[in-house]
Amino acid sequence: MSKADEEKKSYSSVFLLAVALLLATAIWIVWDDQISRRPWKKYQYEFSEMQIDRAKAEVTAEQKRLDDSSDYQTVVEELREARQGTEGGETGAAISELSSREAAARIVFDDADFDLRLVKSQIEEAWYEFEHAELMHVDTTGPKHHLEELEAKKVATEARVAEAQARLDQILNEKEEIFSVVETLEKQKKEMESGLGRLEQNVEGLVIPVGPFEFPKIPKIQQVVLNEFDRNAYNQPLARVDRCTSCHTGINKDGFEDAEHPFRTHPDRKLYLGTHSVEKFGCTPCHQGQGPAVNSPEQAHGWVKHWLDPMYQGDDVQAGCIGCHDNVRIEGAETIALGEKLFEQVGCVGCHLVDGYGDLPKIGPYLRRVSAKVDADWLVDWVKNPHEFRPRTKMPNFYFDQAEAEAIAGYILASSAKEGEEWLASHPAPGGIDSSDAALVAKGAELADSLGCRGCHGLAPGESPALLGDSKDIAPNLGNIAEKANQRWMYHWLKNPRGYSPEARMPSLRLSDDEAKALVSYLGTLGEPAGSDDAATRDRLLDADNVAEGEALVRKYGCAGCHNIPGMEAESRIGVELSVFGSKPLEELFFGKRTDIPHTWKDWTYNKINEPRIYETDRIEQVMPHFALSEEDIDAILVFLASRQEAKVPEAYKLADRQREQALVDGLRVIEHYNCVGCHVINDQGGAILARYEENPSLGPPILNGEGAKVQSDWFYSFLKQPVPLRPWLKIRMPTFGVSDDEARKIVEYFAALEGIDSPFVHIDQAALSPEYVEAGKLLASVDYFSCYTCHQQGERKPEGPEEGWAPDLAMASERLNPDWIVEWIKDPQALMPGSRMPAFYDFSDDSPDGPDDVLGGNDLEQVKALRDYLLTLGSMPVAAAPVVADPERVEPAAMDQGTDGTASSETSNAAAPETVQVEG
Amino acid sequence: MLNFRMIAQSAALTLGAALVSTAAIAYEGGAVAGGGSIKGTVKFKGEAPAQEVLDVNKDKKVCAVGEKKSNELVVGADGGIRYAVVSLTNISKGKAFPEGESILDQAGCEYLPYIVIVPTGSELVIKNSDGILHNIHTYSDKNKAVNRAQPKFKKKIKESFAEPEMVKVTCDVHGWMKGWLAVVDHPYYVITDEKGAFELTDVPAGEYEIKVWQEKLGESTQKVTVAGGAEAAVTFELAAK
Ligand SMILES: [Cu+2]
Repeated sequence: MSKADEEKKSYSSVFLLAVALLLATAIWIVWDDQISRRPWKKYQYEFSEMQIDRAKAEVTAEQKRLDDSSDYQTVVEELREARQGTEGGETGAAISELSSREAAARIVFDDADFDLRLVKSQIEEAWYEFEHAELMHVDTTGPKHHLEELEAKKVATEARVAEAQARLDQILNEKEEIFSVVETLEKQKKEMESGLGRLEQNVEGLVIPVGPFEFPKIPKIQQVVLNEFDRNAYNQPLARVDRCTSCHTGINKDGFEDAEHPFRTHPDRKLYLGTHSVEKFGCTPCHQGQGPAVNSPEQAHGWVKHWLDPMYQGDDVQAGCIGCHDNVRIEGAETIALGEKLFEQVGCVGCHLVDGYGDLPKIGPYLRRVSAKVDADWLVDWVKNPHEFRPRTKMPNFYFDQAEAEAIAGYILASSAKEGEEWLASHPAPGGIDSSDAALVAKGAELADSLGCRGCHGLAPGESPALLGDSKDIAPNLGNIAEKANQRWMYHWLKNPRGYSPEARMPSLRLSDDEAKALVSYLGTLGEPAGSDDAATRDRLLDADNVAEGEALVRKYGCAGCHNIPGMEAESRIGVELSVFGSKPLEELFFGKRTDIPHTWKDWTYNKINEPRIYETDRIEQVMPHFALSEEDIDAILVFLASRQEAKVPEAYKLADRQREQALVDGLRVIEHYNCVGCHVINDQGGAILARYEENPSLGPPILNGEGAKVQSDWFYSFLKQPVPLRPWLKIRMPTFGVSDDEARKIVEYFAALEGIDSPFVHIDQAALSPEYVEAGKLLASVDYFSCYTCHQQGERKPEGPEEGWAPDLAMASERLNPDWIVEWIKDPQALMPGSRMPAFYDFSDDSPDGPDDVLGGNDLEQVKALRDYLLTLGSMPVAAAPVVADPERVEPAAMDQGTDGTASSETSNAAAPETVQVEG
Repeated sequence: MLNFRMIAQSAALTLGAALVSTAAIAYEGGAVAGGGSIKGTVKFKGEAPAQEVLDVNKDKKVCAVGEKKSNELVVGADGGIRYAVVSLTNISKGKAFPEGESILDQAGCEYLPYIVIVPTGSELVIKNSDGILHNIHTYSDKNKAVNRAQPKFKKKIKESFAEPEMVKVTCDVHGWMKGWLAVVDHPYYVITDEKGAFELTDVPAGEYEIKVWQEKLGESTQKVTVAGGAEAAVTFELAAK
């Protein structure tokens, strides 16, 4: 091809193609940049329209309401009439007449006013003439006379002005009176329309008016920046950016609860967003996901490959709570709270270390003396599959075969033989236990019912008074206890649980020998007593090879994680640490040969707990046992495990009052360890046993809501260490738990923290109380007024009638009660303790006086304060001294309660117990 | 897991529905022309138990006036049950409430009368004729529980109840004291006398369900037809539970 040809050739088609391509690409770029990767724009437009429609609908509705409102229509009509009236008719004529009179009066006034100003300037001139004459020493008579004339004229003119002013004012008043009707009506109308005005403003705030058109606001990325929330690989602080509200437009607005996603209002918005403002916390600290991503919902939610923190949905979000809250036993965090509780109490912590949960007490029974407790054949069956004997036990199933179970039972019996024998030697078989004596059994059953055993234990198969999640029992069900434990052991255990196991959670009920014998006789009827030849089985199990094999198994399966076993003191946890398990990448989870299980963290973990050996292969053995938990329980544990994250939330985002948080966590652990909530309602939780006292709640264990504000800490601490009966009418007995000093302190601080009390100490200066008030209080308490001692004790002064009719000892008030609480209590007992037998002497819901009018001027509040002051002067009873018990024989020598490990104090009211002075542990 | 919010909501709904339905069937009282009456007895089936003697163990000077017996189940010589409450369950229009206030007196550490009929919303006058401390402690499902002291110097207090139901009253000072308030939303309630007899008068002609309530024996209902100017007869038989 020649050059000329080349020049002649047309490239227009190529050029056109290039232009077309360029244009298409340009359009594509714009479309992609502005539309396809900006789904949030569409959402914001949609939401804007929705909001505008709603706002307009509200305007229409309000307009309709006004139109339908007869009040409003009356005002409108009256206003119209009043206005019309001013324009014509009689009123109109009156107004025009007044107007012409006003004009005339104004002329008169102006004239007089002008004259007055004139005469004033003339006076100025006359003064000058007069003073000038004086200065020149000429005759001043003329000027003086002139001045006096003018002064007289001024007085007269002033009178004229005043008169004209008065006339004008009168006319103006008359006029205003006519118009004020209109003004009042206008004001009324405006007030009625104020709601409408506000709603119209709402609409205006949502649109951009352009000429006669209205447009929705132009969408833009919405974002929250959390400064220094994250850390990079070099531990340098990074800001976190959450753009979630770019699409989730209605998340923090009321009224979109039923809207489609992503417009919907946050569930429980007040609870969750009210306490965590979106501006401060954004979304991903709780929800995870990919905060800055806005290209697609999948990306934003982190539902893409290799994104490590996909968004939590539903209750899983609660995994985010624990990053900032040490204490998750709070409203809205129920699932993680359950997960944490299960993790602590089902026994997970026995094998798996988790930061912050490492030093919890072992949850399984003490096995150092177990040879003295159980039937050997029972033990083999139990080890083989505990769920068979007790379906809701916390003890998991290890899938042992018969030989393994026998080996383990052999080792358990052999290792505990020595300490078991020693214990038996000092705990002889008691006489007088007879499960065939119907009367004795009935007495035992009655005691089991009334003492409060059912706060923790089910006494029949299937009875579960103290639930741990929904598949486990906190304390063993005793419906078949006779099969398991011998009666000699039961007797000594009931009398003094810490005498057998220094770790016992079971408290001492301060039983008399006879009570314990009756109870054991009754327990002996629950289930078939062990019928096996115990001695023969033991001989077989104690074979040295069997025991050695058992020891290896006990080590391999980590039994010592939950149980105290002789010879296993140095064993460490056998499971993997789970402190950051929630951050574990999918690649590190071993699915074995399972292809049927979806490859997600959640599915892996759920199946692992539900069927612990599920990923086992020929080469990889797994030892985790089966806990038989319900789906809900496993889900709750998953939420807890998901919360175990590598990333730590910076201090600035955590709950400010760390000390209170710690007090709540520590205290609740102790409270749950001893299951105080089996009997007591604490912080609105627990107290299941109260269902048995519906007929008369005052016979049940006291409700402890608000206890931290009620009692003095010193007293509370001493009481926990050594309970004394406060309510002689109760059959249910506050047991002696033998809490350590540390545990008692944690409980006291927990109750104070619940009430938000920083320093829970109270000092009462009796000398500083007003004698007048003390006297008045004493008078009020007397038989002529409130007659308090008809029911209340005061030290040795006891009320008439049987104990069940008595009320607490008022002599203890100054030691025990917070003075401020006494006032609140007297003001309205039912408000503080619903169902209390204490009646209200006053009604502060109205102003009418209720107290006697001849005491302190009949002032109710002052009378209440006087009662308080009087109570504070009553004899103080040393708390740590001999407890008040109904049976004087059960009172211990005072020297007995000094055990600092909390063991001796559990014995204090039972001198007959053989191990009274024995200090365990 | 139980959701507290759900429970609260359903409770509120139930309450709301209950309020609506109560409002819908609010009783309308007025003059009754050409009504009839229902007369009858409530009898005990089986061998009548003896009245339990109460242990008066406190404030004996005032309280131990004669032997006190429990009124929980009082059966007369001919088997009639005293202190049973007979009422019509499905009446929305009829006679007006009788004039006068309802009074519960605490005299000799007993409630007089044992059962008081109290129209809803009206004032119950509670007297203390003893000059010692008593307290009024009520147990109820629908009404707010009341526990008010009535010391010596308070001869009279007042209380009112919004919802119809049987409300138990006790005194925590004197464990044996017990009485009942029949809180009612129409006047066709009557308490049987010592022979177990009762009479409901001025009943508009029509068909009714009639109910008896006794604290120990429970409830029982029957159908009854009332003709103008006539007397319908009803007999209830209650057996121990
Ligand atoms: Cu009384």
